[in-house]
Amino acid sequence: MRQLAPKYSAWSLLRARVAGDGYWRPLWTGAQLRDAYDVVVVGAGGHGLATAYHLARDHGVKRVAVLEKRLLGYGNVGRNTTIVRSNYLLPQNHYFYEDSLRRWETLSRDLNYNVMYSPRGVIDLAHSDGDMVALARRGNAMRVAGIDAELLDPRRLARFAPELDPYRARRFPVVGALLQRRGGTVRHDAVAWGYARAATALGVDIIEDCEVIGVRTAAGFATGVETSRGYVQAEQIVFAVAGHSGAIGTLLGVQMPIETHLLQAMVTEPVKPLIGSVLIYVYPHGEVYLTQSDRGGVVMGGYLDGFPSYTREGQWFRLQDVVQSAVALLPQLASLRILRQWAGTNDMSMDGSFIIDRIRYDNVFINGGWCYGGFKAIPASGAACATFVATGTAPDLIRQHTLARFRSGHLLDERGAGPFPARQ
Amino acid sequence: MNRLYCPFCGPRELEEFRFHKTLAEPGADAYEEVYARINRPTMSLEHWQHVHGCRAWLRVHRNPSDGTVREVRLVAGSDEASLSKDSTHDPA
Repeated sequence: MRQLAPKYSAWSLLRARVAGDGYWRPLWTGAQLRDAYDVVVVGAGGHGLATAYHLARDHGVKRVAVLEKRLLGYGNVGRNTTIVRSNYLLPQNHYFYEDSLRRWETLSRDLNYNVMYSPRGVIDLAHSDGDMVALARRGNAMRVAGIDAELLDPRRLARFAPELDPYRARRFPVVGALLQRRGGTVRHDAVAWGYARAATALGVDIIEDCEVIGVRTAAGFATGVETSRGYVQAEQIVFAVAGHSGAIGTLLGVQMPIETHLLQAMVTEPVKPLIGSVLIYVYPHGEVYLTQSDRGGVVMGGYLDGFPSYTREGQWFRLQDVVQSAVALLPQLASLRILRQWAGTNDMSMDGSFIIDRIRYDNVFINGGWCYGGFKAIPASGAACATFVATGTAPDLIRQHTLARFRSGHLLDERGAGPFPARQ
Repeated sequence: MNRLYCPFCGPRELEEFRFHKTLAEPGADAYEEVYARINRPTMSLEHWQHVHGCRAWLRVHRNPSDGTVREVRLVAGSDEASLSKDSTHDPA
């Protein structure tokens, strides 16, 4: 029997105080790989863990395994810039991400694990009248769907985010913004750990250091996965390996509408509170989004590196772009030093929207194509994907996020950038 | 991968180039040409353009897992090897 960490509460804190060392237990260790499972989830990242958690919690699936090639949370759930929001234009996207945002609001309670959801507001900045029109259009689309959105003129923006100083002379001036107050940040590692703990408590086996290298099939069905630890029989298989979904397609003999691109992020040395919300600044020569972590570091990101790569090493020129854009927006950042820089591999789809669908076989599913926006989707993705796998029917929220949409022409092209993954 | 070899201009900084797309298999239909990608983590055949240089279109054979470039050729007349002789270079 696995010894699990007790439920966190004021009472458990008191008991730990009395009991001393050994009261707190590891969150997810101890699972042994079995020979057969009802569902094998490949990838112990946010989406894989959330899918496993919802399969066990909402659908009572007894034998669920999450197989991870490296370590839990090694991929993008630990590499993103922690932003959550639902300010999308297309209904197929904003209803889904709004479902996710609502789940973020209660996730700490649901998981009994503090994921530090911080609704500090997400601000999309406009630098021209045309930008304001585009933001108003997006904001109106959101409001029609019942999602909060406010268009700010410079005066109200200056009140909400005084650090911005919209009246400062800039080559691309700040003329207004779209604000979503419920958007903000979530502690990314805590999401992986919280889901892993909650899934383990429900009997899910999380197996790290177990690489899936093939799928065994018989009579048009998948029967299990070949792993670095031997063969595992599975009734159903879910691939949640965003960043490598294209390679999984190749493994299954499917050419995916996906390329793998790198996205960088970086963080400065910690300083006193300076940036009170999430700032997003897109202008003709670059893009930067900034938040300040609870520790005080300014976390930044920008455009993709621009070409397919699995190296997880960002390009120097892109780091320069991001820093220059950040300083153009907030000159007070110029004296800060970059503490760390990292990169993650992104499933860039052909229309910039995600894919949750069957792939090749009726009992094999793919949860991927998240582009650079997978983190904020984790709670909704896990719930919807689990429902799809358990019931065989895609819930409405993801019904149009199919693989077939690219062939039939029903693209979900949020940005309208054409079939070029690097430009989404 | 910090530089790319241009058959006209020699080794140049990567930011002078723009990646266009991964090439489809020969014989691909219209859908595959536009939307389908063969994602082989160790081998990628791509079109790039030297946009901030001579503007030549290039066919680049690359390993996206370690960034090494195996070959760069001009797209125009890519059957001729004349301009691609010196295209191997350090991954740097």
